[in-house]
Amino acid sequence: MEKFPLKGTSSVLFSKANASTLMNYNSVDAKRADGVERNMDNPNYNPGPRSGRGASMSSDEETIEDKPLSSMRQQESNSAYYERERAINIDDPCPQYTDYVDSEDIPGIGQYDDFHTIDWQRDIARDRMHHRYILKKKYDSMWDLIKGAHDAWSGWLCVLFVGIFTGAVAGAIDIGATWMTDLKFGICPAAFWLNKEQCCWSEETSFDGDNCTQWRTWPEIFGRSKKGVGPYILSYLFYIVWALLFASLSASLVRMFAPYACGSGIPEIKTILSGFIIRSYLGKWTLIIKSVGLILSVSAGLNLGKEGPMVHIACCIGNIFSYLFPKYGRNEAKKREILSAAAAAGVSVAFGAPIGGVLFSLEEVSYYFPLKTLWRSFFCALVAAFVLGSINPFGNKHSVLFFVEYNKPWIFFELIPFIFLGIIGGVIGTLFIRANLRWCRYRKSSKLGQYPVTEVLIVTVLTAVIAFPNPYTQMSTSKLIYLLFRKCGVAETDMICDYQRNFTDVNSVYLLILAFIVKFVMTIFTFGMKVPCGLFIPSLCLGAIVGRIVGIGMEQLAHHYPHIWMFSDECSTGEDCITPGLYAIVGAAAVLGGVTRMTVSLVVIMFELTGGVRYIVPLMAAAMASKWVGDALGKQGIYDAHINLNGYPFLDSKDEFQHTTLAADVMQPKRNETLHVLTQDSMTVEDVENLLKETEHNGFPVIVSQESQYLVGFVLRRDLNLALSNAKRLLEGNYRQSLVIFTSGTNVQNHPYPPLKLKKILDMAPITITDQTPMETVVDMFRKLGLRQVLVTHNGRLLGVITKKDVLRHVKQLDDEDPNSVLFN
Amino acid sequence: MWKLICTVLLMLYFTQCQADSYDDKRCKCICPNIDSVLNNTSSDKRVLNFVTNVSADKCDCDGVVLPKIGDKLQGKEQIYCPRCDCKYENRNTTIIKIVVIIVIWVISLLVIYMLFLICLEPFLNKRLHKATGGVGGYQEHNNEEDDTSVAPGMSHPMGVRGNVLNRVGLQQDKWKRQVREQRRNIYDRHTMLN
Repeated sequence: MEKFPLKGTSSVLFSKANASTLMNYNSVDAKRADGVERNMDNPNYNPGPRSGRGASMSSDEETIEDKPLSSMRQQESNSAYYERERAINIDDPCPQYTDYVDSEDIPGIGQYDDFHTIDWQRDIARDRMHHRYILKKKYDSMWDLIKGAHDAWSGWLCVLFVGIFTGAVAGAIDIGATWMTDLKFGICPAAFWLNKEQCCWSEETSFDGDNCTQWRTWPEIFGRSKKGVGPYILSYLFYIVWALLFASLSASLVRMFAPYACGSGIPEIKTILSGFIIRSYLGKWTLIIKSVGLILSVSAGLNLGKEGPMVHIACCIGNIFSYLFPKYGRNEAKKREILSAAAAAGVSVAFGAPIGGVLFSLEEVSYYFPLKTLWRSFFCALVAAFVLGSINPFGNKHSVLFFVEYNKPWIFFELIPFIFLGIIGGVIGTLFIRANLRWCRYRKSSKLGQYPVTEVLIVTVLTAVIAFPNPYTQMSTSKLIYLLFRKCGVAETDMICDYQRNFTDVNSVYLLILAFIVKFVMTIFTFGMKVPCGLFIPSLCLGAIVGRIVGIGMEQLAHHYPHIWMFSDECSTGEDCITPGLYAIVGAAAVLGGVTRMTVSLVVIMFELTGGVRYIVPLMAAAMASKWVGDALGKQGIYDAHINLNGYPFLDSKDEFQHTTLAADVMQPKRNETLHVLTQDSMTVEDVENLLKETEHNGFPVIVSQESQYLVGFVLRRDLNLALSNAKRLLEGNYRQSLVIFTSGTNVQNHPYPPLKLKKILDMAPITITDQTPMETVVDMFRKLGLRQVLVTHNGRLLGVITKKDVLRHVKQLDDEDPNSVLFN
Repeated sequence: MWKLICTVLLMLYFTQCQADSYDDKRCKCICPNIDSVLNNTSSDKRVLNFVTNVSADKCDCDGVVLPKIGDKLQGKEQIYCPRCDCKYENRNTTIIKIVVIIVIWVISLLVIYMLFLICLEPFLNKRLHKATGGVGGYQEHNNEEDDTSVAPGMSHPMGVRGNVLNRVGLQQDKWKRQVREQRRNIYDRHTMLN
């Protein structure tokens, strides 16, 4: 169980600290940490939430397996203590445990305030305690057995529900968005709920694939004519008006009901999963408004996608369902396991790519991802993909509109243009990130930020006015991607395939270039507006356009010079040896990789989209090239850049800390400041209340006495507050004079008032380091153990505290950034 | 909220199960123009679509295209048929209908509620404030207030516990406070989601 090098020091410290005062009891206490299970016999005796802390984070199941063994070992070695403790418990009916309520009864213990960092270690220890308790009780009665079984499968059950609901919500969003997008152009009078494609579904339109009699465009409904200048203007107007209506609804719903629903949500999800509390960011209202707002803003024709916010929606569902299972709902660290699985389900439904979703959760969003969570994510993604597949929102048996099936071979030489696409993708990605960040920073600091709804309306009008004349920007982005991904065949009637034999007719290429410029510029201004907006689809689209253009160029090359060496005779037949659609796919992957800096999950998502395993190598080459180029030009992906912009307390486990500072340099308090501490048994309630009033620290170290400064433990401000108010309710009279003691407290000196015993809210195993510890180690501990704070000691005496915020500020300071941009604790 | 949605869903489902004017299955074949195989030099590039409702195993050129235009092909079926692209597809119009109607419902409910909150609520509040003498005036939000973990039963005396309306009102107030706080974070202070 001893995996932390620090555990040893802290327990040594601990026993040393108690040695002076508690000769008899401290040995029992010290053993308590490992001998938890036998204490369960005594209902009065609850050793508190932190006793099982010695076990490592990753071995949840392991501790259960080796329990009998370890307890046997303890039986042998500690039998003396065991007997003695028994004797104490029997002889003396523990008066100290009867006069105050169990810490589990104080509502809110173990929870966190808004905008606070969670303590992974503490939460996981709490879960382990709970688990042991269940296991212990299991054989008591039938009911307890059922409870134990329910506890064991509740994680799987929860992700099952999350998967089902995520699939259903995604299906609803897909259907709603496609319907509403087509509403801008016309309506199906016979069945208004069908979009254009579905409306013309069973109609045989022999000669003109573009129009059918059932579907009426708006000019047809009003003016009875179809072609001409008048109807064109009318449909232009309708397009703008509908777009404006949808966008304004989306922006005002977000503003009115759930401001947290705006944006893509992935930077915040990353921060939350790294152990940060943002209350109601994953709540019911956010879920509803994000879903509805997403439908509206996608239908408004803005340059945004619904795929990124799908992750946020799935996480909302995960959060809501986790409250059905107290094991997850009440424990923030455990809840994050469900959220990781939900994030996987979100990507799974967004792209119809279950494995890609799991890898996305692993690579991009999750912070703590043990194998158990991997399997749960796998299951959750599977269920979600299955449910969405059976809803079949697009009528193409796939969960995305732009699913294409490819199995044409590629020539080895083509790797060079693919890598070239990767380089372009990296450049485009970096340019996009820089421009978007600059615009977001401008929005944050200038007056523009005060008019969020107006901004949305202006961008919408501009987008609609510019987009309508160009058929490629007029259609929805997903449809454009589908068009670009597809190969030219008999089914393809668009002019994009109309250049083959006659290169003078290059209209479509010019239109594509124009579309690229429009989309690129508008996406910069769109991403970050106060409507739900994702980034996957616009960047896929940008890449697809570039890729398609390169592909068309290559095809022309092969068409005109089929015999040059690089095509190695494969093009000598003159028939389609180059597929421009494949270039579009690779280009899309490259730009998405350049923007988000994903690699593995990106390739898997793309090949799940195309159903072609043989394109893994081209996709990998492009993704890698794009990542290299992107990392060389600018160091962060868009999500990390936005985390930085907002100053979220996210300690990236990918970065390295390369400075040679020591813990003493970072520690609070600085010189000439005093450290606010509690003493274990000499402060009155009044003293503690004054301390709480005067300071704003989120936790206080507890020491033996002001003279000796030996460390006892750490207590959180919130827990202290709750316990005090609880005590206020229970103990009437002038409780303010009674002592607050953090020991088991049998040898308290005579005092007129009954003492208030708060041992249960005390964390007796805080992680401690010495002041000479290099910061590299400290940062590593914060990352890997998910700590909230460490205590710094010198010669065994308490010297100060380092919190996560201090570490983040320190990192920023050393990177020459403004340390005050880190906002929360 | 969920109950409402569920009942709407069920109702729609039962009314919709019987009558459906739109087919849910189709076999669609897309073929090039007949001229392309008959060596007529016409620049007509339009394609032919054939949509029929046949079973999945008959969804090919022989089953769908040839019965319709076989006589025009003049024995060139072997050249023409491989160029056709046949796909069997199915969909579920009932689900589409239900989803779209729910979406419209939800959006209109939200819009109505939003309009209510914008237009009517200030008036109601003003009257309420006059009646109570401004007891429940604007309270500055702080962190303790939106503490979700404090059991709801403890925050108000036993007498009002049974009063459902009161509880709903409290919940609504709490929610409004939360939203106000979110708005302040995002729109005024720009500390989040920029």
